[in-house]
Amino acid sequence: MHEMKCPEEVYQIADDIRSMKIRGAGRIARAAAKALKIAAEKYEGPADVESFITYVDSVAKILLGTRPTAVSLPNAVMYVTSRLRRKRPVNVNEAKLIVKKTADDFINYSLTATEKIGFIGSRRILSGETILTHCNSTAALSVIIHAHRQGKDIKVYATETRPKFQGHITAKTLLAEGIDVTLIPDAAVRYVMKKIDKVIVGADTVAANGAVVNKIGTSNIALAAHEARVRVFVAAETYKFSPATVIGELVEIEERDPREIVDEKFLKENPNVIVRNPAFDVTPPEYIDAIITEEGLIPPQAAYLILIEKFGWVIQDYFISKYSLREEDEDWYQMS
Amino acid sequence: MEAKTLVSKLVSNIISWKIRSSTELVEETLNTLECIIKKSKDLNSLVLDIIYMVNEVIKVRPTAAMLINCSRDILLELNNVVNSKPKLPKAKEALLNKIRRIKGRMTNSIERIATIGANRIIPGDIIMTSAYSKTVMKIFEKALEQGKKFEVFVTESRPGDDGKIVASELSKLGLKVTLIVDSAMRYFMKYTTRVLLGAEAVAANGAVISKVGSSLMALIAHEARVRVFVAASTLKFNYETVFGELVRIPQAPEETILPGEVKEKIGGIKTEIPVLDVIPPEYVDAIITEYGVIAPQAIPLLMRDLLRTWPPKAADVSEIISNILEVTKSA
Repeated sequence: MHEMKCPEEVYQIADDIRSMKIRGAGRIARAAAKALKIAAEKYEGPADVESFITYVDSVAKILLGTRPTAVSLPNAVMYVTSRLRRKRPVNVNEAKLIVKKTADDFINYSLTATEKIGFIGSRRILSGETILTHCNSTAALSVIIHAHRQGKDIKVYATETRPKFQGHITAKTLLAEGIDVTLIPDAAVRYVMKKIDKVIVGADTVAANGAVVNKIGTSNIALAAHEARVRVFVAAETYKFSPATVIGELVEIEERDPREIVDEKFLKENPNVIVRNPAFDVTPPEYIDAIITEEGLIPPQAAYLILIEKFGWVIQDYFISKYSLREEDEDWYQMS
Repeated sequence: MEAKTLVSKLVSNIISWKIRSSTELVEETLNTLECIIKKSKDLNSLVLDIIYMVNEVIKVRPTAAMLINCSRDILLELNNVVNSKPKLPKAKEALLNKIRRIKGRMTNSIERIATIGANRIIPGDIIMTSAYSKTVMKIFEKALEQGKKFEVFVTESRPGDDGKIVASELSKLGLKVTLIVDSAMRYFMKYTTRVLLGAEAVAANGAVISKVGSSLMALIAHEARVRVFVAASTLKFNYETVFGELVRIPQAPEETILPGEVKEKIGGIKTEIPVLDVIPPEYVDAIITEYGVIAPQAIPLLMRDLLRTWPPKAADVSEIISNILEVTKSA
């Protein structure tokens, strides 16, 4: 198969994702869907469906290579590519339309998801409650902000979130809404837990068993909440759920630069100190009371339901490509 | 005047977290006290200066049981001195002697705890610790002297970032040490074989008051079935808690986590920065004291043996002070 030229805009988007100019799970996912749409519109290769699909796959590969750990990215890409295959277009024009439509569908679904989560989650918050949050999660903040705008009187404790202090951004956002915010060191989460009514955090990735991969320290908080019988809610759009974990793949935990924790001077003066900086940890499902998705509130153990409903085709494609299963054998998957 | 300057310097070092370990806090207090006693020119100002100092230091760290216990000893001695109406040099000598004896007891207890604690370290151990504890550092040192090979995870321990200093010092001893953020405690707990912590105070029910984050670490260790050891001299026993006194947790100044320029950008934010928290006894497997390793629930037994009476008769610091003041006034 001959190499097909990929439009300049796609490379630009890929670069922006790689350099973190485009950041945040939702924005990355939408940018990837947009890139596929542009690629389809600008397709100039041979007029057969086979070539077009190969071309889309090569664009998908470029996009997938930008950020190996973020799950929203492969979900956006596979959302489009799986549907393209399944709908069995008869000509290139139809194939182009499928890509454009599914990309738009994904973008829409992503844009409305955070709002819906905010609405659904806010119904769980009662006036007078004190909420603890960690890091800076758009979905978690959406829940808190919705509750506040409904006139509920709430207080928020925000962890500073070492090493990168995302808690400061959370505090600033909530203060701008007029919400009462108290910043605490990460080590003080058990100390304050007695004053907390609910924990609301976001998710980086939700695994098939309902385990939540999120900013390092989330599992400390969930455990301390569990001990104190404080409810833990995870706000996560369904594109944070990882289809790859259904086929047994592990979620890789990224370890970041030590210089996020200590400065250059410390490293020079202490060459024998090892500094380890994992970006995420895994909260087991038994410490999570519910995951708030735009499709509704689910117990974490029901993550599989969301995965099949939303990414059935993607999972089926994984099985076919990685385990050489035949498509006919796998047709029990829902087609959404 | 002189004494006030010395005291305010000490107090500001405590508040700004320059003095990190509660043992060092007492050592510095005793050193300052020696200075004040030596410089004193008459008995009356000597008495007032000592009382002033004790009050000021306890005010900033009311949780430091060792500080309270040592202050009590010194005040009791001062009470004796005042009652026997000696000449100034004689009074000075008595008080300096007392301080010397307390210092000796502290040194001895740390030595013994280090030996006992080092015995509990097994070659191949991976030990997690947090904050700066002079006693814990001594245990590591001793275990290294015994030729044991082990490694240490140390948390950053905010506020104060003590972990950076601990990591630096331990690495210079030749120990393999890994620095992590406080949030990474649970992530690394499964690679850990033991948790070793210092203490600010030990309450009558075996609860341990230690640097904030310690109780989180103990909970996480408990979940992972990792044993938690606390190194604490019996000088850190808080006898007041026998009578139901609650331990009040002091707060660190806001700048420790929120420098002025950052705060300005965020706007009207509040902070809550506890310096310490309380580990419930059920998460502590053993307390390593200079009298041996004991279960936290057995603390009342050791208290009884130390004071040879139960309930403990540890005089209240403020009561001794008012006694002393009465005697000096009537004189």
